[in-house]
Amino acid sequence: MSATRDLVAALKARLEAEGPLAPPPPVPVVAAPPHRVFPTPRTRSRYAAQAAAHTTALVGIGHVGTRYATDVVLQFQAELAVAHQAVATVLPDGWAEQNGLLPLRSRVAHHRQFLLRPDLGRRLDEASVGLLRDRADKDVDVQPILADGLSAVACMGSGLDLLRHFTEACRARGLGVGTPMCARFARVWLEDEIGQEVRAKVAVILLGERPGLGTGDGLSAYLVFGPKVGKTDGDRNMMSNLHARGTPPAQAAGRLALLAGAMIEQRTSGVGLDLSGLARELGEAAGRGYRAPQERTRLVEVSR
Amino acid sequence: MSLLDPIPPKVLSVKRLAAADPALLRAYGADPARHASLGLVTCDQDDPTYVALDEATKHAGVDVVFARSFYAGSAHASGRLSGEILGVIAAADPDELDHGLSALLRCLERDACFYRADDAGTVTVFPHVVASLGHYLSAQAGLAPGESMAYLVAPPIEATMALDAALKAADVRAAKVFPPPTETNFAAAWLTGTLSACQAAAEAYAEAVVRVAREPRDAPFRDR
Repeated sequence: MSATRDLVAALKARLEAEGPLAPPPPVPVVAAPPHRVFPTPRTRSRYAAQAAAHTTALVGIGHVGTRYATDVVLQFQAELAVAHQAVATVLPDGWAEQNGLLPLRSRVAHHRQFLLRPDLGRRLDEASVGLLRDRADKDVDVQPILADGLSAVACMGSGLDLLRHFTEACRARGLGVGTPMCARFARVWLEDEIGQEVRAKVAVILLGERPGLGTGDGLSAYLVFGPKVGKTDGDRNMMSNLHARGTPPAQAAGRLALLAGAMIEQRTSGVGLDLSGLARELGEAAGRGYRAPQERTRLVEVSR
Repeated sequence: MSLLDPIPPKVLSVKRLAAADPALLRAYGADPARHASLGLVTCDQDDPTYVALDEATKHAGVDVVFARSFYAGSAHASGRLSGEILGVIAAADPDELDHGLSALLRCLERDACFYRADDAGTVTVFPHVVASLGHYLSAQAGLAPGESMAYLVAPPIEATMALDAALKAADVRAAKVFPPPTETNFAAAWLTGTLSACQAAAEAYAEAVVRVAREPRDAPFRDR
């Protein structure tokens, strides 16, 4: 070794010790795997296509190999997210008052308890019972109750519309309608206690239904004649899928008023109620006739 | 390869003319009365070759009659054997010439070379210490044979910053400064002093070049 090389080697050691680590050797470039395309095969049968046109259910969705096509999976995940979101939504404080409704609540303390304890959601808390006794009209024909149920989104969405239409439809039939009210953290059976307190002939609870895929905005209506704590589901009549793609609120309100009127006339509800004379007015809800094809709302667009 | 690793010079050609034509001798600065043989060397690093030519004069009775760098350096050479310098040593006979050539090649192989001043090798530095000058460089530098000299080369901005650092680092004086551009577009300086002073200067020079390469912009101008 020469003197200069020794000198530079010593300097190198000194500089390297003080400086940052030498940069790492470059990472080898890994070749991309061969690109493969899995097209959705055009193997849908005519039967599957026609069947799918009549329902929003996941039928006739095809497959890619042994799996669902990507758009089907994305659509499913998006719809499931809508449903989750609807269940997770809580009716905001003061919403009922803002919309001119008597604010009631069940014995449920918070949202998680609401999901885990259906029994608490079927009874009114002390304050609500007091409110009913002080401010609600008594001895009414029909007591409509708007409630959040399992989808506060639906309650806040078309709930008010349905309540308004229903009230008008009842009045048009000459039925006395009770004070409009809104129950929070409510299960269906809460109508029994409310109806009992206001001594209504028929109690009707309009509440957000458990969301299905892509239907976070669906409402259900449950009607019971002679409400009192202890009524069972056999005593109730109900309509479900009250949303734009099912039965629209305006149409549903007329049918609900018809049902309420029939209950008062026949002095019963549930399995004992005879709907045979009402088939024409109830339309497709009563019969098994032709149903118009339904369009599935696409939350995810996949270009093909 | 990493920081301050040597960059070995490539000797591209070594040729001898045992009895060169007098016209050629005269044209290349030799004296036909004293010189008969010429040894020619091309190399891809010019400054190590100047040091090696000088080294040859210490080991044999040879004179460096011609040594010129080529313009813009070995990356722009006129041919694959041109490199960046042609050095010519002259001797009275071929035997003496061979001794000189082997000393020259030994020096290029084991001693004088450029070093990487950054990890990528895009900046280079030549912080060479000649412990004892031969006839050639001492005459060029205006020093006495046997004196110590720091032979310092770097690209222009690095060389300018580093020369200042070297002059301040040790008790040395500038024998000759070559501001940029030289033929190869580098800048150079010859500093002299005691051997240890030259070594300290060379070390400071190399360190300064590395630091400039690491941080080409001073703090206030870093983002402009």
